[in-house]
Amino acid sequence: MFNLSILKTLSNDKDTVAVHPSSFGLPPEEAIIAELNKKYANRVLHDVGLCVTVFDLSEVGEGKVRYGDGHLWYKTVFRLIIFRPFTSEVIVGRVKTSDEQSIRVSVGFFDDIYIPSIYLPQPSCFDPDKRSHFWLPDSQLSDPQELMDTPTDGRLYIAQGAPIRLRVEADEFFDDEPGPPKAQNGIAVKTEAKRAPYSIIASIGEQGLGSISWWAPLEEEGDS
Amino acid sequence: MEILNPRSALLSNFEVLELLRQFESEHLTRTKTAIRIKKEEEAAGVPSLENPATTQTSENFRTIQIEAIQYLSADYLPTSSQTADGITHLVKDLAQYDLTKGEKLQIVNLAPTQPVELYAIVEEIEDRFPDETEVICNRVVESLSAPTLTGSPMIVPHSSAANSSLNLGSSLRYPEDEDADVVDEMMFDDTGEGAGIEGDLDREDD
Repeated sequence: MFNLSILKTLSNDKDTVAVHPSSFGLPPEEAIIAELNKKYANRVLHDVGLCVTVFDLSEVGEGKVRYGDGHLWYKTVFRLIIFRPFTSEVIVGRVKTSDEQSIRVSVGFFDDIYIPSIYLPQPSCFDPDKRSHFWLPDSQLSDPQELMDTPTDGRLYIAQGAPIRLRVEADEFFDDEPGPPKAQNGIAVKTEAKRAPYSIIASIGEQGLGSISWWAPLEEEGDS
Repeated sequence: MEILNPRSALLSNFEVLELLRQFESEHLTRTKTAIRIKKEEEAAGVPSLENPATTQTSENFRTIQIEAIQYLSADYLPTSSQTADGITHLVKDLAQYDLTKGEKLQIVNLAPTQPVELYAIVEEIEDRFPDETEVICNRVVESLSAPTLTGSPMIVPHSSAANSSLNLGSSLRYPEDEDADVVDEMMFDDTGEGAGIEGDLDREDD
């Protein structure tokens, strides 16, 4: 789920790494890494993934002082640790929330992982009382009404907070510009909810996927 | 920035966790040193300026670092019972099978100990390795040491609440309790604007 990306600062001024004079006492590479982390850590780069942290610096140019400020400006090539599970990778997360359309899964530092209900093991159904989906293994039923009438003993619930094994099916990047504020009759109109810049679509409809407790060895099955 | 190579290498969860832990302990040592210097300066009566030799670790970086360490050392991931040697050995063992890079990475990350878990990771396993699923699982089991319970996300004191605090002994690899104190102290120092008040409290501690 993690990989390394090699990035290079552009030649324009904005992108060069500026080290403030107060950090001149540090070894330059430490100061540069700190600056880069300030800029990239916990940020989604379009079509790359979520940056976790700087891995190392591969090339650093000469620090230059420019007219007008006391910063040292460095051009650099560096490697970042990126969170971006590849398509078809199996990862483990925790169920964050469930609703009728999907299950939202979190891996702690990233929680825009969605399992749409079509990617659940079939037959399955959303139980509005428990606010969670359940799976009826070895059942021929398909009608939601019939599924809701089954005894609760046979249902395997995907409870909130449960560790869940899932397969990445696709990922999406959105780079939405904020745009100008809209106003109607002088009153600011609320813009629609922003899309997450990076989201993962996952499935759990296969053997071995789904709640970890479903596939645990028998002695542990009691707590499912 | 310009992206030269969006995916130059794959990293295993264990590697990322080790690296983040290393950054974490470096950060804590730095904070400790900074606090010590500050105290010394105050004791010597030097007006306490902002210490020039500290890097300001950004909020975003700290957030993702702590959250990622918490996730990667969670009890449902095998990282706490993995060792660098074990993984090297496992990868060598897996070399004889015709697995793709991604499949090997997932075997290392998820450490499937049962055939059913392996089924999800390796495509068409029945056709490709009809008799070897058990063998691969056994190799994975061999590569795991007994859970050493070092992998607890105890960097911040409150983090232990969600995760299993039952079986986390005090056999932790680095002295988290001390570190937690330092973090608290540092936070205190940040909020306190008046240097005189801080000095008084520090003296009480001594």
